[in-house]
Amino acid sequence: MALLKVKFDQKKRVKLAQGLWLMNWFSVLAGIIIFSLGLFLKIELRKRSDVMNNSESHFVPNSLIGMGVLSCVFNSLAGKICYDALDPAKYARWKPWLKPYLAICVLFNIVLFLVALCCFLLRGSLENTLSQGLKNGMKYYRDTDTPGRCFMKKTIDMLQIEFKCCGNNGFRDWFEIQWISNRYLDFSSKEVKDRIKSNVDGRYLVDGVPFSCCNPSSPRPCIQYQITNNSAHYSYDHQTEELNLWVRGCRAALLTYYSSLMNSMGIVTLLIWLFEVTITIGLRYLQTSLNGVSNPEEPESESEGWLLEKSVPETWKAFLESVKKLGKGNQVEAEGTDAGQAPEAS
Amino acid sequence: MAPVLPLVLPLQPRIRLAQGLWLLSWLLALAGGLILLCSGHLLVQLRHLGTFLAPSCQFPALPQAALAAGAVALGTGLVGAGASRASLNAALYLPWRGVLGPLLVAGTAGGGGLLVLALGLALSLPGSLDEALEEGLGTALAHYRDTEVPGHCQDKRLVDELQLRYHCCGRHGYKDWFGVQWVSSRYLDPSDQDVVDRIQSNVEGLYLTDGVPFSCCNPHSPRPCLQNRLSDSYAHPLFDPRQPNQNLWAQGCHEVLLEHLQDLAGTLGSMLAVTFLLQALVLLGLRYLQTALEGLGGVIDGEGETQGYLFPSGLKEMLKTAWLQGWIAHRPAPEEAPPGEAPLKEDLSEA
Repeated sequence: MALLKVKFDQKKRVKLAQGLWLMNWFSVLAGIIIFSLGLFLKIELRKRSDVMNNSESHFVPNSLIGMGVLSCVFNSLAGKICYDALDPAKYARWKPWLKPYLAICVLFNIVLFLVALCCFLLRGSLENTLSQGLKNGMKYYRDTDTPGRCFMKKTIDMLQIEFKCCGNNGFRDWFEIQWISNRYLDFSSKEVKDRIKSNVDGRYLVDGVPFSCCNPSSPRPCIQYQITNNSAHYSYDHQTEELNLWVRGCRAALLTYYSSLMNSMGIVTLLIWLFEVTITIGLRYLQTSLNGVSNPEEPESESEGWLLEKSVPETWKAFLESVKKLGKGNQVEAEGTDAGQAPEAS
Repeated sequence: MAPVLPLVLPLQPRIRLAQGLWLLSWLLALAGGLILLCSGHLLVQLRHLGTFLAPSCQFPALPQAALAAGAVALGTGLVGAGASRASLNAALYLPWRGVLGPLLVAGTAGGGGLLVLALGLALSLPGSLDEALEEGLGTALAHYRDTEVPGHCQDKRLVDELQLRYHCCGRHGYKDWFGVQWVSSRYLDPSDQDVVDRIQSNVEGLYLTDGVPFSCCNPHSPRPCLQNRLSDSYAHPLFDPRQPNQNLWAQGCHEVLLEHLQDLAGTLGSMLAVTFLLQALVLLGLRYLQTALEGLGGVIDGEGETQGYLFPSGLKEMLKTAWLQGWIAHRPAPEEAPPGEAPLKEDLSEA
């Protein structure tokens, strides 16, 4: 009992081959799209690797790039096969290769599906790297004269301006680190000395934030220093003031950005996966219907196409049998060689 | 009645003309599409930067005219491609025969006119940008503090975003902010002696400081941004106001915006010039093809030689014919002169 049998006459076979040829070329385009999506994601991750501790996982963009290239290769090959399928002479060349090729296609589809799933599932690791990286980035904010870290201030400032965020979880993260370098502190001032003495580690901590946290939509000029001191500014209450600084933390902002990017890439990859599955099924029908043409001298005859020759459990049993036979075949061979070697030794 | 600029066109040169015309038409369509994209981009930019141009500035007319000219060029290119393709096949050319004449007239008058207008605007308008930006930026800076005045409440946000995105400060430099009260009186403490002193020391009663808004800050600077007391050399350690300020953006927004808009207008102008050339070539080629095929009658693939020309007769004869026709038509019943003659006269005066 074949699975999903469909009768094909000559015209239907030709239509199937032509349709598959067109779909394969669209699929090559889709492969290029997946490749460029992976490249784009890789570039975006690279751009901000400074705030991700340089330890972010590039698994998703690398796999998208690989899948894109493989898809282009397989689908252009399939297009060539479909084009040749209309000519019995050329098709005879491809006939022995089709079964392993279809097996590879099925494997490719499974891997494509897994990659699409990964796009949705791997944001957890990104969250951890971002949290670590941002913490370190803020710690090195003041080290503008230390080689290897002198760019961190510029990176964090531009990040906060571009993503409209402040600090790791919020602007209060800046209160806990010394972001003003000692070079620019006036050590003769009493206020500076007091602050440094009042701190166990001897750090100069302020309730202030860098300028890049300022929100341009605020109606008043930005209040960056003495944020929690209501009496330091006229007509100011820090508990009710919402628009002065960006409220969102940069970790949440970056995570949202990358999540939406990866989600949309996952959706596009899933759609392309569905397209590829359709193409594989069509190719299987083409192969079985062309093989079913009983008399090669009569290309006009009708034939049947199917997905599997026998029903699913029977096919699975036959597959297991062939695997066992392969194993047994090796065993017999090994025994034969052992027996052959033993008499030689003795 | 000698035809103007005749050209003998046997079969092979006719085919070559049609093929070359097909290529040129697609190039023209491409150029038209590019102009559409470029002027669309300029329009979007002007929507964001509109607050910084004086309302009397005519600059937005340039992308609008270029948009129209680009659309007409695209249409001309598509028509040219279709007509030159059809001219190689007698069956396909039949529907084009009646339509091609008026289309050529419309293309020359409409398309040529629009392109010339757009080119003229591209050459003349960027000069007026200087004063428009001066006035617009001055108003924006003066109203920076008016975040509660209807009509100007967005000025602060727009100026801040301008300075952040275009990396500039003030009009010509950061010192412009010293001459403007950019802190609203709502946030000034009237009991503070320093505030009172500053307001009294000023003729107009403005609160002027030697400070700048946060959006002037340069993230590339190694030290946290210094925004206040910029003329006081003792206010901050290791800070000398006489040295060039690394802390803030050095360029003024006037220069940055002027260069940006002039660059865009220049690109648009050069694309318009190229399209004008292409359009002239395509229209000339189409005219020659049309008159050559008219000479053959209906037999397009015939081996016969024919003449292509620009106009069937010289200027004087054309005017005489037009006048006579108009006079004769006027005698029995009032009728306009054939519309085909008048635009052709325009072409002649153009050419």
